[in-house]
Amino acid sequence: MSQSTFPSNANRRTALKQLALACGVLLSGRSLDLLAANIALPQDQTRRQQRLLDEPQRTLVAQLGELIIPTTDTPGAIAAGVHEFIDHQLAYCASRDEQRAFLDGLRRVEQVAQRRHDQPFLACDQDQQVALLRAMEAADEPFTGADRAFFRQLKGLVLLGYYTSEVGATQELAYAAVPGDYRPITFEEVGRAWSNRAP
Amino acid sequence: MTKTEQKFDAIVVGSGVSGGWAAKELSERGLKTLMVERGPHVEHRKDYVGEGVAPWEMPFRGAVEFERVQNEQAIQQQCYAYNDATKQFFGNDRDLPYSIPEDKPFSWIRGNQLGGKSLTWHRQSYRLSDLEFTANSRDDYGIDWPVRYADLEDWYAYVERFAGISGNRDKIDILPDSVSQPPYAMNAVEQALKQRLESRYQDRKMIIGRCAHLTEPTDEQKALGRFRCMARNECQKGCSFGAYFSTQSATLPAALATGNLSVATDSVVHSVIYDEKTGRATGIRVIDANSLAQREYHADVVFLCASTIGTTQIMLNSTSKTFPNGIANSSGVLGHYLMDHLYGAGAHGRVPGFEDDYYHGRRPTGIYIPRFRNLYRQDEGVNFLRGYAFAGSAQRDEWGNFAHRDGFGKDFKQAIRQAGGWSFGLWGQGEMLPRYENQITLHPTKKDKWGMPQVHIDCSYSDNDNKMREDMAESAAEILEAMGCVDIHKSIDWDRPPGLSIHEMGTARMGRDPETSVLNGYNQAHDVPNLFVTDGACMTSNAWQNPSLTYMALTARACAFAAEQLKRGNL
Repeated sequence: MSQSTFPSNANRRTALKQLALACGVLLSGRSLDLLAANIALPQDQTRRQQRLLDEPQRTLVAQLGELIIPTTDTPGAIAAGVHEFIDHQLAYCASRDEQRAFLDGLRRVEQVAQRRHDQPFLACDQDQQVALLRAMEAADEPFTGADRAFFRQLKGLVLLGYYTSEVGATQELAYAAVPGDYRPITFEEVGRAWSNRAP
Repeated sequence: MTKTEQKFDAIVVGSGVSGGWAAKELSERGLKTLMVERGPHVEHRKDYVGEGVAPWEMPFRGAVEFERVQNEQAIQQQCYAYNDATKQFFGNDRDLPYSIPEDKPFSWIRGNQLGGKSLTWHRQSYRLSDLEFTANSRDDYGIDWPVRYADLEDWYAYVERFAGISGNRDKIDILPDSVSQPPYAMNAVEQALKQRLESRYQDRKMIIGRCAHLTEPTDEQKALGRFRCMARNECQKGCSFGAYFSTQSATLPAALATGNLSVATDSVVHSVIYDEKTGRATGIRVIDANSLAQREYHADVVFLCASTIGTTQIMLNSTSKTFPNGIANSSGVLGHYLMDHLYGAGAHGRVPGFEDDYYHGRRPTGIYIPRFRNLYRQDEGVNFLRGYAFAGSAQRDEWGNFAHRDGFGKDFKQAIRQAGGWSFGLWGQGEMLPRYENQITLHPTKKDKWGMPQVHIDCSYSDNDNKMREDMAESAAEILEAMGCVDIHKSIDWDRPPGLSIHEMGTARMGRDPETSVLNGYNQAHDVPNLFVTDGACMTSNAWQNPSLTYMALTARACAFAAEQLKRGNL
């Protein structure tokens, strides 16, 4: 009962019922039906209309995300839709100042790529891209403390977007919607970190 | 003005932890009871709209829209439990204004809905002991409590049996054991640190936090539709398993089962009606939250359980010829001696080793180190009165921690998958002295949209409070070092406003003397025998323990007393 996922929409009620059973909740069929029938339906999915980024910016963010969390034996940031998440998140949940700082940061990436390699960031090869990001994270010339702060903001968003995505939460890491109980275990028993917030 | 025809035996104002208990106890004792709630109805299970929604189904993964936060919940969002899945259980700041002096911030967190803050509370549950009930009398801050532990012991047991408290029998005299269900486990690191602490310090114990969660439900609890905790630790979204104590999971179904309870939601209580001739409360004036229409409800006894500041706001607004400054306020102390707990100071560090250890599930509690400073006497070298407990936990670093570290790419992703090292933290929970100058009053001119005078909250920390916070950080760091932690960081959040611990207490305190207190030892107003206050407003001192369990015990005890007095015709 360690890595169950919670399927969406129509399956939710059945899932809760099954999970309760699997977790050893002993109750009559009738009260289980009542419990399952009353479980709330998912929140609205309409809050994904507004965007902050234009198409080139979104493409750049997608690649930056993939450099931070690349595809390995599990999908990376692009497959997890991290750039889409960041686009909406900044549009809805960030202040004007945070939005401006983020867009400024993207411009700085392009600016330094142009200066150093005479071409847009996305046209640079992967070694060049990685080197640029390493320099940005370290605030090495010509990057500044403000650029380093942008990179932290970006990385925070990429990690949030990836590890709370279905791919990141359930394939890359371990996810338990209804753990059933709390107990000490060895790391080997689960084999990877939990994506849900501990402890 | 609508005057409802129906007369009740009892009215309970508020539906949170205290109000739910009052409704249950009074209706179970055969009294036709009306529970009045200013906020909307919240149906158990059906209205837990954030529950069971996977993170990837939340468009902002838990974050709330900037505009909503800024315009409607700038104060509420300071609460740790506020997020996209719980925001509906926090008030709208725009509709719920209050004023403060410019240099004295106070964060008033509101839970105005059926169930109140019982839906969003942190569920830590501890008994007080005579160390607390005698605290004021020993150092002369505030007045003596009119009760002792012996008065409450059986009532603690009574409410624990019903509510369901998980924990150990720890045999600590200043933290009496609860009637408990099996405790949550400590993880491997916590077990090791407990040993190191207790071998290094004779006077300190580490225990697992006692909390209002079912780990082995009784037949009574099962019959109410409550189940064992599933260790999701997403409690504040609402729990369809009914595994933690809330009005909806526990006291409300029990009260409704009697057939004696009526519930009026969306009903903002304006004031208590006082009859000059009989010297009794006769009911309450209510403003409909939506239509703003006024109505009255009448009863033989009135219980105020509207939250500490909410209750006192109603009392201050209940003026009459006898009580021009608020009902039951002949002493003049109504509104004074406001307290909150001292939080936001402690230390955290790294715990080397234990790379093979982990945990399954998300525990809805942590570890707890009961108070060790100034037990019954002032410790040498300690420059403040009273004391504090520590709460904490040990956990491995997860993806959220890696966001603050350098690195990215394949190796970074792999390191996150392997989980990071262990960290451990201790955070103080300290007692704030009861002081006359920390007070709430009614604003002379400003009103809210229901026409209620706004509350003016004037509250700040004292020198004693600040010295205690300094000691919390110092001693937490010292303990961490003794436990073998490394990379230890002390911190004190000096900007943390009072109110944010959400343990507001006092302002209608209990006491023996009607000239210096509002309520007697049964939470009964000295001046108005059929008026009772059993929420945090009644607290004479605020102790260092989380207070809700004590509100439950005081409420159940006061209800038994009131029902008996009613029967005898004394109210």
